[in-house]
Amino acid sequence: MTVAPTDPRRASDTATPAADEAASGVDRTLIRWMLSLTPTERLDVLQGFVDSVEELRGGSGEGLQRR
Amino acid sequence: MRKRFADVLRLLVERRVDFMVVGGVAAVLHGAPVSTFDLDVLYSPATENLPRLAEALHELDALYRDPAGRRIRPDVERLAAGGHHLLATSSGPLDVLGHLGEGWTFDTLLSRSDMMRVADFEVRVLDLAALVEAKEHAGRDKDLAMLPVLRETLRLRSE
Repeated sequence: MTVAPTDPRRASDTATPAADEAASGVDRTLIRWMLSLTPTERLDVLQGFVDSVEELRGGSGEGLQRR
Repeated sequence: MRKRFADVLRLLVERRVDFMVVGGVAAVLHGAPVSTFDLDVLYSPATENLPRLAEALHELDALYRDPAGRRIRPDVERLAAGGHHLLATSSGPLDVLGHLGEGWTFDTLLSRSDMMRVADFEVRVLDLAALVEAKEHAGRDKDLAMLPVLRETLRLRSE
């Protein structure tokens, strides 16, 4: 579907949001998202990341985790 | 999800160990989107704290991550010597630190830490500004790499 450029509302809806980066290149959207979470949820995000990497490696931190 | 970070912290809290979370997990708890695979804690060297810490580490089946593969367990005597104790536990890697940088200890950083509620317990966490200073002071590549995210998180938190 073609969006008429004369329709500011619809043009705005389809526009790609600009990146929100600090001068250092840090993505502020990620920080704002993390700040919107509780500490428990933030820790869950980290744990989910670690678990996912370990699953991709096909192990569970072998060598670092005592079984 | 196995919640191993939370499980280790809960055990230390339940065993009344005086410690604070530092490093990458502290950064995450403060809202910084960084990743880490190990949990770093700074412990109090007080005489009464060491047996509690040693017992908790025993429950976690902790062994030193020894490149030579020796099976060395942390105990009160080793913990009393201070320094860094880099351990492998039943709940993942755990770095038990006697100090941060050049002589920042649990006692000197106590006033720069906050109690934070995580799941069903409260844990002491080094505050974000102090964490930034510690990383700046350490100056290692891995610390410097994390600094832009930490500084921006600190800035956005104050908005």
